Amino acid sequence: MKDVDGPEHSPSYPYRYAEQYSPPEPERVSDVAITTFEHVYEVDPRLMQRWVLQQTFPNWDSLRIMASRQDHLDWMHRHFATTVINGSALLAEVNAEDEANPPSTAAPQQEAPQ
Amino acid sequence: MTLAPERLSDQRVADVVSALRSVLRDDQILTSKPDRYNRARVPAPFPVHRWAERVPDLAVLPETTEDVAAVVRIANELRVPVVPRDGGTGLTDGAVPLRGGIVVDVKRMNKIHELDLVNRTVTVGTGISMLKLNEQLARHGLFYPDDPASYPCSLVGGRIGTSGWSLIGSRYGHTRDLVLSFDHVLPTGDIMHVGDGIGRKITKSSSGYQLKHLFMGHQGTLGIATVATLKLFPKPEAELSPFWSFDNYDDAYACVGALARAGVATFAGAVLFDEYKVAYLRRDDEAYIPQPGDVRALVCAAMYGYEDEVRPAGKRLFRIAKEHRARYLGDEISEGDWAARHDRYATPLHGRTKAGQVVPMSWHCEDAAINYANLPAVSREWHAIVAELRRKTDVFDDWGMFAYTNSVTGADYLTEIDVGIWEQHLDDAAWELWVKAKRDLAAVSLSYGGSISACHGSCREGEVDLVPQELGRGFQVMLDVKRTLDPNNIMNPGKYLLDGAYAESGDDR
Repeated sequence: MKDVDGPEHSPSYPYRYAEQYSPPEPERVSDVAITTFEHVYEVDPRLMQRWVLQQTFPNWDSLRIMASRQDHLDWMHRHFATTVINGSALLAEVNAEDEANPPSTAAPQQEAPQ
Repeated sequence: MTLAPERLSDQRVADVVSALRSVLRDDQILTSKPDRYNRARVPAPFPVHRWAERVPDLAVLPETTEDVAAVVRIANELRVPVVPRDGGTGLTDGAVPLRGGIVVDVKRMNKIHELDLVNRTVTVGTGISMLKLNEQLARHGLFYPDDPASYPCSLVGGRIGTSGWSLIGSRYGHTRDLVLSFDHVLPTGDIMHVGDGIGRKITKSSSGYQLKHLFMGHQGTLGIATVATLKLFPKPEAELSPFWSFDNYDDAYACVGALARAGVATFAGAVLFDEYKVAYLRRDDEAYIPQPGDVRALVCAAMYGYEDEVRPAGKRLFRIAKEHRARYLGDEISEGDWAARHDRYATPLHGRTKAGQVVPMSWHCEDAAINYANLPAVSREWHAIVAELRRKTDVFDDWGMFAYTNSVTGADYLTEIDVGIWEQHLDDAAWELWVKAKRDLAAVSLSYGGSISACHGSCREGEVDLVPQELGRGFQVMLDVKRTLDPNNIMNPGKYLLDGAYAESGDDR
């Protein structure tokens, strides 16, 4: 496979076409989805054969989309509040307090009709 | 049934443009096809082959209240429809011109006129978005907490015209609570200031009729808001947004009710995701695809305030969730999913045929205000209606339901069913099925004592037929108000069955 971009254009990281179009071997994660890179999920290609055809993305673009999504979410947090409180830390405190002082085992009060 | 648009002739359009040139510059008057088609676009699906019915004859870009008043005055004199357009993000087609005419696009009226740090108010042109406003307010440690799912792209004026609903309204109130007063151009072109009493910055007055609410949520049928004064809060120091999973709907339902009833002061809202919603997310959302099979319903809560308020309040909510057999979904999903809720309009969407193949679909959301006690029954009946649609055609896909607390006490919920619609295949027959389904969904809401809409408005085909039933004698008052304020029916005609105001008097425009 021929490189589409030689080292003279990008000395620090040559762009190799074959590399970019060879994502990690997909793993099935559910009946309808597969995963390639960590946190990158795709619809099972068998479900995208008639009305919407699956597109092939170069690896750098898949990873860019993942990273930019996280950037966007981080920006949104900063926009709405100065800090984000870590829920798992609060849950750990609640569990520790419950362990030290066990709550009643009574079921929660049912306050509305089902 | 949709009324055929009564288009202006080329000569009348030329006459209108000529008259507008006496009050606006040429660059404020748009007549090209792209300019007009771009201002016909709204998110709610509509048959592609009928899009041309909803294109205005021209658009204008006013820059001041006086510009707007001059345009409306000309339209009233020439009997030309006027349709206000802000972000164009509404889900009940308020910004859609049903009879052509002039679209008044307010996006150039986006200035911050006054920031009052002492009284904690800001006065803005209604063409500003909440996101851009908050970027400026953050420099002063302040925040305007009107937070729709279209937060980055909807505008203050549209929030007034639709009386919008805010994700964090259980903490800060919704648009009607956050807008203190505004300048408003009536359908005759007269300019009025409306608020509590006459004050621009008064939060509660008992002087005279409370007119502010009348001029909010009218979907552009009573005029155009141009400059608004808004209530400000300190920018929250801390945010907490835990997401919990449940292995059954009933536990999740009980939990969301308990969270809302806890009376926590920093509580900004809670959301219940039903089994259908979880199934949809498990199919297409990277956060939920890997979740174990016993994740069948979800609840999230959001809190904002100072850190030393939110931490103990958060522990209280965690304890309530634990009592209801909730499993915390982890920090990454909790924080990421909540942040994404401010910007739902950026989500690319696809649905499935019954055979499982992926198809491109547009998102539509039908909403209602439903009391907590009736949520399970309404959910069951709504899903049955959409299931019946899906049995008949692959054009529709059930994407599940959310229920968001409508207020801090948890009395009622903004109840939504998301339906994927394959717009390219939305022919006349499928559209008729959809309109009937919308009518049926609204009828269920009313049968349980709810309101047809908590958030979007109810002036689209289908649900609008039941508005007179919901409002009773009040609908006749609506007709009387419309006829009095808009004697020539120029302001957004064809919406909310308000043409009836003129038919009664034999003056059917």
